[in-house]
Amino acid sequence: MVKVKVKDLTKIFKKGKNIVVANDKISLEVDDGATFGILGESGGGKTTLLRQIAGLEVPTDGYIYFDEKVVSAPNKIIVEPENRNLSLVFQNWALYPNMTIYDNIAFPLKNLKMPKSEIDKRVIEISETLNIKQVLKHYPREVSGGQMQRAALARALVKNPSLLLLDEPFSNLDAQIRDSARALVRKIQKELNLTTIIVSHDPADIFSIAEDAGVIVRGKFVQIGNVSELYNDPISETVSKLLGDINIVEGEVKGRTIVIGNLAIPFDKKIDLTEVKVGVRPEDMRISQTETIKNYVNIGKVKVKVSSYSAGIFKLIVSPISDESIEFSVNSETHIRPGIEAFLFIRPEKMKLFDSSGNRIM
Amino acid sequence: MNSRLIKYIILEIIAIIIAIFWLIPLYSMLINGFKTNFEATATPVLLPPKVFTISSYITVWGEMKRPLINSIIIAIPVAFISTIFGEMAAYFFYVVSERMPAVSNTGFSIISLATFIPYQATLLPLIELEASWGLFNSYQGLIFALLIFYMPTAALLMSIFIPVIPKYLIEAARIDKASDWTVFWKVVFPLTIPGFLATMIFVFIESWNNFFMPLVLTSSPSLRLIPVAERAFTGGYGTLYNDSYAAAVIASIVPLVVFIILGRYFIRGLAALGGGAKGV
Repeated sequence: MVKVKVKDLTKIFKKGKNIVVANDKISLEVDDGATFGILGESGGGKTTLLRQIAGLEVPTDGYIYFDEKVVSAPNKIIVEPENRNLSLVFQNWALYPNMTIYDNIAFPLKNLKMPKSEIDKRVIEISETLNIKQVLKHYPREVSGGQMQRAALARALVKNPSLLLLDEPFSNLDAQIRDSARALVRKIQKELNLTTIIVSHDPADIFSIAEDAGVIVRGKFVQIGNVSELYNDPISETVSKLLGDINIVEGEVKGRTIVIGNLAIPFDKKIDLTEVKVGVRPEDMRISQTETIKNYVNIGKVKVKVSSYSAGIFKLIVSPISDESIEFSVNSETHIRPGIEAFLFIRPEKMKLFDSSGNRIM
Repeated sequence: MNSRLIKYIILEIIAIIIAIFWLIPLYSMLINGFKTNFEATATPVLLPPKVFTISSYITVWGEMKRPLINSIIIAIPVAFISTIFGEMAAYFFYVVSERMPAVSNTGFSIISLATFIPYQATLLPLIELEASWGLFNSYQGLIFALLIFYMPTAALLMSIFIPVIPKYLIEAARIDKASDWTVFWKVVFPLTIPGFLATMIFVFIESWNNFFMPLVLTSSPSLRLIPVAERAFTGGYGTLYNDSYAAAVIASIVPLVVFIILGRYFIRGLAALGGGAKGV
């Protein structure tokens, strides 16, 4: 397969008098056979980065290397996309509407001037793996979203690429089939030991596909690392939000406690600021009628405002009894009726503190 | 509801009036061809024939047969070639517009300019060129001259239809290792067939109706095209009206048939001009 190296990559779009810096000195390395996720808000420059790696966009500055070979240089595409031996699964899958699913999958092989029998063998093989053999004779508009997505994946994989690029490949799928689609991509990636780069705004995509990831904010990588490291140790409020649900609540520092309404979080280190933002993920909080829970700290009384259910977990919205405008989202194992008052617990070691501009302080 | 009905009726009446205005010459052309020459001159032009005769069609057919074939020989290749090359040019400009906007804009301006120059203005150099290449007074010469003028028109029209194809399809094809030739024939062309047909019909009818080019670029009667042959019926010594009308009907049949068979593509193409057109 291939090792991808990006060095100081910058992309500036000029549209009339508007200058947009989509990528600002981005560097990254994806090892042979590794999977890398690029996470960020929409408009943050993720897709631009991916398109430059694919060779569809010319970098304004910086270099891209495939196995130490320069493929893109400032204002220059050195190796055209058709010669990079990569595949790109587009967000909307980009299936050719005038061709059947079979012809869509066979298209890259026909371009390689492969003999017909070999094309047939390969198309049948990949469509069996991806379970779309029954729709090969249909046109893209006649099949379901999941089948289109698998057809796009089949077209990407059938030519044995050395690099697979995925641009939000699951965002147009129904929630129920998204997980199985992710699992399928991951399984194939592992089997082929295929270098893979995935771009998404959904952390679930990154967690299921990528081992390492980078977070792009306004065109810059703000943090790169292992995905669980990014989740547990975000360097800023923005990163913590991009990696999953988190409660960010402003609190006042009074000595060794942080006060939020009637809630008080004890804290064993000294903080120089008077106001901080407290970040706690829903799974690191619990509510209970009892006054103590092992490994958790009781921080005060709250009132349950909303109680909902999703994917096996009861989700509660609770507020300190003194202030209804502050809200925490908390996971619960049982259903709790709205209106009930209970104690709120947190795992102190999982708590993150940010200063007022969102930088992590602890 | 009532006011909507009234509005609908008014619009419908206006449409009918416009249609009648438009149909009057067509109607008179149709009925007068079936009159005798005396009746065609003596009776009002909108009155149907008292004696129905096809004698004028029979006389005219002999003279119109050759021009009809000539016109088909000229108009079909002109329409086809100029639309194919026009589409290729439009595709080229669409693809380079992002990477090299200067090339695309300049090329496009030149093409637009070419369609705005009245072709009468280029007559002398064109005749000289054709004469020196030995193309004057030949089928090839006529096709060549018409191509010069209709290729830019076709390119301009096709560049309105081409941006309907999403760029990501072209990018996907490139990543699938397709050559420019393959991208054009396997992806771009099949997806623009309605626009292609609309443009081809337009160019076909334009070159079919073109009077000036065949008039000045041919001299032998055997190379006459339909519009020139039609004009010959209004002779210097007097006009055979019924024959002229019959000749006009024969001259209109081919474009009419083309339009009836492919007209829906033309309408669909025009609809795309109003709605989906962008990037021009």
